Amino acid sequence: MGTIVLDAVTKIYPAADGRSAEVVAVSDVGMTIADGEIICLVGPSGCGKSTVLNMIAGFESPSSGRITVSGKDIFGAGPDRMVVFQSPALFGWMTVWENITFGPRKRGVPKAQYEDDAHRFIKAVGLEDFSAHYPYQLSGGMRQRVQIARALTNQPEILLMDEPFGALDFQTRLLMQELLLKVWSEFKPTILFITHDVDEAIFLGDRVYVMSRRPGRLKEQFEVPFAKPRSIEMLTDTRFVTLKDKILHSIREELAR
Amino acid sequence: MTDKSQMTHRRRRLAVSRWRYPLISLVSIIGMIGVWALITGAELVSSRVLPSPGDVLAQADHMVRNGYAGNPLIVHIGWSLFRAVSGFLLGIALAIPVGLLMSYSKTFGAITQPIFGFFRPIPPIAFIPLMIVWFGIGETSKVLLIFAASFNYTVLNSAAGMRSVPEQLVRAGVNLGLTRWQLFTSVMFPAALPSILTGVKTSAAVSWAVLVAAELLAAQAGLGFIITDAGTFFRISDVFIGILIIGVIGLSIEFLITAFERRLLHWQSKV
Repeated sequence: MGTIVLDAVTKIYPAADGRSAEVVAVSDVGMTIADGEIICLVGPSGCGKSTVLNMIAGFESPSSGRITVSGKDIFGAGPDRMVVFQSPALFGWMTVWENITFGPRKRGVPKAQYEDDAHRFIKAVGLEDFSAHYPYQLSGGMRQRVQIARALTNQPEILLMDEPFGALDFQTRLLMQELLLKVWSEFKPTILFITHDVDEAIFLGDRVYVMSRRPGRLKEQFEVPFAKPRSIEMLTDTRFVTLKDKILHSIREELAR
Repeated sequence: MTDKSQMTHRRRRLAVSRWRYPLISLVSIIGMIGVWALITGAELVSSRVLPSPGDVLAQADHMVRNGYAGNPLIVHIGWSLFRAVSGFLLGIALAIPVGLLMSYSKTFGAITQPIFGFFRPIPPIAFIPLMIVWFGIGETSKVLLIFAASFNYTVLNSAAGMRSVPEQLVRAGVNLGLTRWQLFTSVMFPAALPSILTGVKTSAAVSWAVLVAAELLAAQAGLGFIITDAGTFFRISDVFIGILIIGVIGLSIEFLITAFERRLLHWQSKV
């Protein structure tokens, strides 16, 4: 199942040229994400959040340490761990439907096996009337919904989301967060969600990890004391505000350092 | 004013604004011919140097009926089109895969980049004497010259197009489990297509320009031949007709490729 375990993971980038020093992007990160859990990762800019995600995705490999998914080492990227990128990495020359079914089609999955799923997911993100549209005809929020539907159509155990709603306006972002929780309650994927937005992290996450400044370490983790399903009333709850205060302080310490 | 008349009024204004700029362009063309007619009509210059529009039209009619230098006009146009189109197509057919390979293999890119980069700024016409020495004055040297010119403009654009494919799009493809080949054909190539087509468009324009230059030097038929031959015998009307046909065909080629590009890259609009 979709359990992710990071054990003492460090990522060092070699110096870009002869003079500058090598960059330790991520240092000694250990975390366990249980199957079906939503983990949010927050921290100052450039702290290595995306590096952690890229290593789990298999786009990059750790310099030392070990990452296992469902108990197995990972070799490269694959559709069992679908990434939702910050800017919607859609294929502009394909319709929404073609984008969503692209993975299974290229892997030679028989149509009968993915078609129903694709219909289900396109409906889950509310785009069933737009399947023949091209990405340029969609708004930013709609493009991100296509990305989510595309990810889900590959039936991943894990969703890796790299600030997916960061570029959206406040209202759209709120709708997308609710949509994601709805999708989660239906399909229960394991989700690693990177964000700058502490409200978003608490609203979505079962746990919130705060990363330190570079070299990025896991500094602190917070349990979110709200059961799912969640609603926006939670955003004004005193427990929410208290937790937000703690997390903001934890991040602020890093910025001041 | 009633609603209905307001509507028609607005509709008329819309129609006017829609045709406004094409109309201005049309007036501009008519004006240009008008100025030409005025200059020749007032006999400001000798009709031997600048024939009147009427003279050119009459001579064009004559040429359409009787051909030029023993060949019907369509044969001249056919030869020119054959040389240009075959050189152009061969050029881009080789340039696109080579350009893609240049970005795919860094070594191959490092080998070829300086060579193609060196030839790019040299006007292809500069190679005409060499081509004649090496390949004679037949079709080979003409088509080869056009081929080389066409190749050079598309190859570097194709390579640049591949290099500028966003990393994230490639990662999205890898993430979906695509093989390297699928990634190349289904993600990188279509993503690079806008840049490739920009090169193809330049190649087409250059092919047509180089063709005329090649025919100016050595040919027995073709539009470039008409211009040189007519110039030699001081038949200025015929020179004008040659130039006009070259211009009209050049515009048509550009129009065709732009239409093709619009169709192929419709997804790019308004991004």
